[in-house]
Amino acid sequence: MKYTVLNTPVHNLDGMAKVTGRATYTFDIKLPNMLYGKILRSPHPHAKILNIDTSKAERVMGVEAVVTGKDTLGVKQGTWRRYPDLCDEEILARKKVRYIGEPVAAVAAVNEDTAEEALNLIEVDYEPLPAVFNPMEAIKEGAPQIHEGAERNINVTRHMEWGDVEEGFKKSDYIREDWFKCSSQAHVSMETHCAVADFTPDGKLTVWTSAQSPYFIQVLLSWVLGLKESNVRVISRYVGGAFGGKVELDSAQFCSSLLSMKLCKPVKVVLTREEEFTATRRRTPMVYYLKTGVKKDGTFMAKECRVFTDGGAYTAFGATALYLTGFFQSFPYKWPSYRYDGYRVYTNTIPSSAMRGFGAPQATFAGETQIDLIAGDLGISPIEVRRKNGMTPNYEIPGQATIQSCGLRQCLDRIEEWIKSRGETPPNRGIGTASYGFMSGGIFNWFDTPYAFSSAIIKVNVDGKVDLFIGAHDLGQGSNTTLAMICAEELGVHTEDIRIHTGDTDICPVDLGAWGSRQTLMSGNAVKMAASEVKRQLLEFATAKLGPNVIYDLDIKDRWVHIVARPDKRISYFEVLKDAIRAKNGQPIMGRGYYTPHRKGMISPAYSFGVQAVEVEVDPETGKISLINVVTAHDCGQVINPLGVKGQLEGAIAMAAGYGFTEDLPMENGNILNPNLVDYKLLRATEIPEIEIIEIDTYEPEGPFGAKEAGEGLTNPTAAALANAVFNAVGVSIKELPITPEKVLKALKEKSQKKTELR
Amino acid sequence: MIKDFVYLRPSTVKETLLSLSKYQEDCKIIAGGQSLLILMRQGLVAPKYLIDIKNLQELNYIRFDPKEGLKIGATTTHRAIEKSTVIQEKFGILAEMEGKLASIQTRNWGTIGGNLCHGEPAGDPAPLLIALKANLKLANLNGERRMAVEDFSLDYFETALTKDELLLEIQVPLPPVRTATCFDKFTIIQNDMAIVSVAASVTLNDGTLCKEARIVLGGAAPTPRRATMAEEILVGKRLDDALLEQIGQKASEQAEPLSDIHASEEYRRQLVKILTKRMVKKAWEKVQRLT
Amino acid sequence: MEKQLLRITVNSQGYELYINPKALLVEVLRDHLNLSGTKRGCESASCGLCTVLLNGMAVKSCSILALQAEGAEIITVEGLAEGSLLHPIQKAFLDHGAFQCGFCTSGMLMSAKAFLDENQNPTMEEIREGIHGNLCRCTGYRSILRAISAAAEDIGRGR
Repeated sequence: MKYTVLNTPVHNLDGMAKVTGRATYTFDIKLPNMLYGKILRSPHPHAKILNIDTSKAERVMGVEAVVTGKDTLGVKQGTWRRYPDLCDEEILARKKVRYIGEPVAAVAAVNEDTAEEALNLIEVDYEPLPAVFNPMEAIKEGAPQIHEGAERNINVTRHMEWGDVEEGFKKSDYIREDWFKCSSQAHVSMETHCAVADFTPDGKLTVWTSAQSPYFIQVLLSWVLGLKESNVRVISRYVGGAFGGKVELDSAQFCSSLLSMKLCKPVKVVLTREEEFTATRRRTPMVYYLKTGVKKDGTFMAKECRVFTDGGAYTAFGATALYLTGFFQSFPYKWPSYRYDGYRVYTNTIPSSAMRGFGAPQATFAGETQIDLIAGDLGISPIEVRRKNGMTPNYEIPGQATIQSCGLRQCLDRIEEWIKSRGETPPNRGIGTASYGFMSGGIFNWFDTPYAFSSAIIKVNVDGKVDLFIGAHDLGQGSNTTLAMICAEELGVHTEDIRIHTGDTDICPVDLGAWGSRQTLMSGNAVKMAASEVKRQLLEFATAKLGPNVIYDLDIKDRWVHIVARPDKRISYFEVLKDAIRAKNGQPIMGRGYYTPHRKGMISPAYSFGVQAVEVEVDPETGKISLINVVTAHDCGQVINPLGVKGQLEGAIAMAAGYGFTEDLPMENGNILNPNLVDYKLLRATEIPEIEIIEIDTYEPEGPFGAKEAGEGLTNPTAAALANAVFNAVGVSIKELPITPEKVLKALKEKSQKKTELR
Repeated sequence: MIKDFVYLRPSTVKETLLSLSKYQEDCKIIAGGQSLLILMRQGLVAPKYLIDIKNLQELNYIRFDPKEGLKIGATTTHRAIEKSTVIQEKFGILAEMEGKLASIQTRNWGTIGGNLCHGEPAGDPAPLLIALKANLKLANLNGERRMAVEDFSLDYFETALTKDELLLEIQVPLPPVRTATCFDKFTIIQNDMAIVSVAASVTLNDGTLCKEARIVLGGAAPTPRRATMAEEILVGKRLDDALLEQIGQKASEQAEPLSDIHASEEYRRQLVKILTKRMVKKAWEKVQRLT
Repeated sequence: MEKQLLRITVNSQGYELYINPKALLVEVLRDHLNLSGTKRGCESASCGLCTVLLNGMAVKSCSILALQAEGAEIITVEGLAEGSLLHPIQKAFLDHGAFQCGFCTSGMLMSAKAFLDENQNPTMEEIREGIHGNLCRCTGYRSILRAISAAAEDIGRGR
């Protein structure tokens, strides 16, 4: 398909503001009469709150208010509103604290230093309770109970099944069982969580915040504060990164709102980097058991999967991770039989929640590592095993979902080509591969909204400027630009004609926001629909002038309204616009669009696919891993914003590689041991390898112009590809993330000891 | 948060010494502040008087004398050392070490003197300076004294600097002929603080035997530590694989590393062994090429 | 605490400010001078978001007491463009999409400018080291490396 706008390199719409330092983030917001808030957090992993004495703090000069759980409505909230027993978090604890870092009080003062000083004067009487930190310990009989009603600390269970796995194992020639340990990971958004709340005497609350879904925050705040939804306005213009950590209601938003409501003054709360590490969210750590049965030619027969996730102290968004890890464990292959049992277990640690990949990177690490091990055991090439069992277009996962577009086979072919082109790898170097599939947004409405999942409103002005109102949110992934391009392509104008309005719940239509890779497909469809409605109106006015046989012989391209078969017969789009506005009572031309997936199976309306090859070099004396190359063939349907896609892919690799071998959140008795950027190891510009991206062309019928997600799916394969690469380089398979040099060296030593013993 | 303090900016070394003598425990010197400000922000250090010597040009110099060697003023930045042509020519390994220290921003403002006085046992300059037999010039109101860098570190973040003393200068003597020095550190991310580091200096006699050796471990003990027993193995001998293995093994035995989230004690010992072998071999090969 | 006088030039403009001695340079820039382009992201001087130029050198403004910058010339991201004329490095960032959330961008641009002022013909290896002190969580750095390389060429042609 030939497009005028799609897949052309376009300057990001927010670029000028960002490169000139003009982009105002929540971090930068200053309002007149504004106060600064700080939060007091529990030092205990599990304790009853007996009493909180705030009197000394209140007397500090410059302190204007102190709030505790007593000042709240005590609402237990959560994002899964459809399931009240999963709404278990008060944010400002009243009776009990369940993790180190849980908020117990908040102070508003004239400056941050004064607020911090006051925190030190708040006296909290705790009665420490026995705590438990490991999910395998927490499910034992007699373990400390963290939530009433959650027996054996089991928060959520999930079961997924099709076919008959027992039959499948019986028919298998070879069965392999493996355990894997998937670590946690911190989002490390460059802008920490922050909020400025301004409650005015007319009962209206405005909150500026760094959030993935302004709509979610609006609804959740109104719920916990007892306000009408429409009296809560959430404004979020620029967000300094999120990656899944800013979907839920957080302590900065809640405490600043509470303090502002008490004082009728704006209150700003900015979390420190340390709070960001210890008291927000993290990726869900998982213990993974996989039993896989195959035929001796590598055909998959059965897979049984059991997962225990460390949920931390609250449900948060972790129930979704439990669900998705079970689903994506089967991806991207055709399993005749499959069974998944997942258990999310409460522990007295920081809640684990959503992080880019949402349970799929963990699933892919376990699944793809095991596939290479099976391939090795059977003496078949790992690519061949993947090819033999890979999903194909229009495949139906029994009872679960229908895959429509699927470019997996082409991805495998291209990666195989690349590996062959590398020739023989020198000693201590290895190439490993992994495949993935991922969703383009979920069909589930656990948030329980009556609104369409995505909506868009367009208003076209006489000079051709298109005002596009969307609820979809740009966190840096470039959705503003991508959606503007979809609008421009459909309407037949240029991307720079589009002016995006987003991030204000008073003005913009509802959209579930930026998470689960939903926006390109869902918000894109809504935008396309709205643009199509506007175009239709304009074409009605052009019909008389141009005289086609019928209106759908007309189209708009490059700001020209023309007859499709005879593009030279055309009139200026601006002329048509003027006529149309005059005729429509002098009103700008408007269009509305919306999208909610339906009849698309149980998980997602569309799936992206890809295969990644990672080349590493391992220092056999120290175990240190160096990344040499990462080559990815991926299928995201039609590429809309090529600079955006490239950026997402390269960024995903950096984050996923970090998950694979440098990032970790070690804990001791509920304490995170490295809550700073010195000890938490992010990859820097000096560690990033050569990255090559191969686009596989497919067309997804469900997506706008055939587009699907790009950017979250790509965080799935790297840890596994890295593990497989290490295996190919030095012959050891590490099944516990992150793959540190120490683990590699230990495995190498054990291997050589075994060799010596065998002699 | 940083606690309030009285800010003093002396314009000469003499004025600085006067303030130090007057305020002693109640004051702290700040040069680049790249380590100090973090401690002050955490409330771990809260001096009543902060004496800012960052702009003391008196202490900002790099001088080379063909007889006496290198003299570096205490407030010389890491970046200046990294970029100094005379150091690149005459003491290349020093410039190389500085180039791997943290980030350009830190090196642009942080000083060699501040680094040494902070006393971080995993810091890069100290082990290398010890391998180079460097000395320090310290001063208080009563006068000056000299001290080997080797003797400067007493314990984790504790140095021999007295409450009224100021570090003035680092002196690096000309290495004897037929000497080569190497340095490397093990990190996960490039330029990070060392998990373990090793500086090795090898001097040959007139023939092919080792006359002198210095092997200094960083990040493997409460202070930078000379692996003297490992050194002794090499002295008087010619390096071969078997000897190298012994040297590495002995160095790892002389280490007293901690276990932390980055590496266990056992792994640090292993790294000491490997790095020592690599640095001694590299220095040996380097010195062969000199002659 | 008694305030002290600080004389400083920022983006070619001279200022005289009375500040608490413990004020950090980044606080003076953001809070006193309302130049919010420079950001902060950590308490351990690790992220580089606060990078500005001080007498032409890239420094972390969170790790410098404002008083230590007495008499210095500071350039922040707001001082890069001349009116509507973007600095070549800004243009390169736009052309190559070398930013996503943008929070690291100010510091990254300043590090890049300082680097290119010193090294007009950099290798890719040198560029990587040049921005080593600046963390980015979004881009994976490669678009930034491409932009700096392109800017170096652009500046070279301009000469």
